[in-house]
Amino acid sequence: MEIRELVGALVTLGGAAFLFLGALGIVRMPDLYNRMQAGTKATTLGNILTLAGLAIYEPAWLPKLLLVVLFVLMTNPVSSHALARAAHRGRVPLSDISVEDALAEAYGETAEPAKEARP
Amino acid sequence: MIKQLVGLLAVLAVAALFVALLPLMAPTELGPVTRHYVEQGLVENRGANLVTSIVVNYRGFDTLGEVTVLFLSVSGAGFVLRRREGLVPEPQRRSSELVQTASRVLFAPIVLFGAYIFVHGHLTPGGGFQGGAVIASAVLLLLLADRDRLLPHGFLSVIESFSGFGYVVTGFVGLAATGSFLANRGVIDLGTWNRLFSAGVIPVIYVLIGLKVGSELATLLDTMMHADQAGEGHR
Repeated sequence: MEIRELVGALVTLGGAAFLFLGALGIVRMPDLYNRMQAGTKATTLGNILTLAGLAIYEPAWLPKLLLVVLFVLMTNPVSSHALARAAHRGRVPLSDISVEDALAEAYGETAEPAKEARP
Repeated sequence: MIKQLVGLLAVLAVAALFVALLPLMAPTELGPVTRHYVEQGLVENRGANLVTSIVVNYRGFDTLGEVTVLFLSVSGAGFVLRRREGLVPEPQRRSSELVQTASRVLFAPIVLFGAYIFVHGHLTPGGGFQGGAVIASAVLLLLLADRDRLLPHGFLSVIESFSGFGYVVTGFVGLAATGSFLANRGVIDLGTWNRLFSAGVIPVIYVLIGLKVGSELATLLDTMMHADQAGEGHR
């Protein structure tokens, strides 16, 4: 096996590790907003790392992979931003241990909207 | 308890059905027509994607029917959900600036991707219907990000009508050139296998289908979006 292929496979494995951590975060985090953060940041980076590993493994695919990375960079953060904002508008409660609600302050609402309503 | 029992029975019934149908899944002999498609498809149409040469050439007339069905359903939806003119919709909360900007930036690449899919319909998986659906998803993104946006209906219906017309005209060109409707051989040079300009009229038809499906679905989305809004504003 060529050393380049080995490096590519390892980088892809690193990306898979990030994706796994993202999945773990979705299970372990206390409320929707924290889960969303785990699900977004970890998967964006994990995706890019996986694709980077693929690009090392198979350099001929680089242009197409770059396009995919650009698309992921454009869509993943924006879609989870929209979801999180909609959840906040829909008054999905924060977890008990959250200390600040910057978005509510930005809207000029009193902070801590429905904090105690957590099941 | 009873609920679980019923669920278990349902699973068992499906499993029994699966076992009963299993013999049918054994490989059978190809019929003469199927054999012709499989063996002669590449020779006769020179399209790298055999499915496309079946859908657009051998079964091209059926596909024309499918496109018509789609057209009729969109027209029906437009009739039922027609936009009430002069009605001021209830002001709705706007999407955040991030979403609006991103949707505007992403619109062009997604449309380009849809066009790529239907232009390469005779070479790679996918074709006019899939590419048109991708284009419509770009329009949906735009409409979701900015609900007040109105699509240019006149422009869309011109595209839609002309692509449908072009499909039928292509069929008649085949009829005039070779004596059979939607014929492929003998109309345009078939070109070299697996090139962009190959497979005769198949890519022409798939581009027309892509434009038609994209504009139809975009019109449908716009109709549904604004019909809903007007209905709420009225009550």
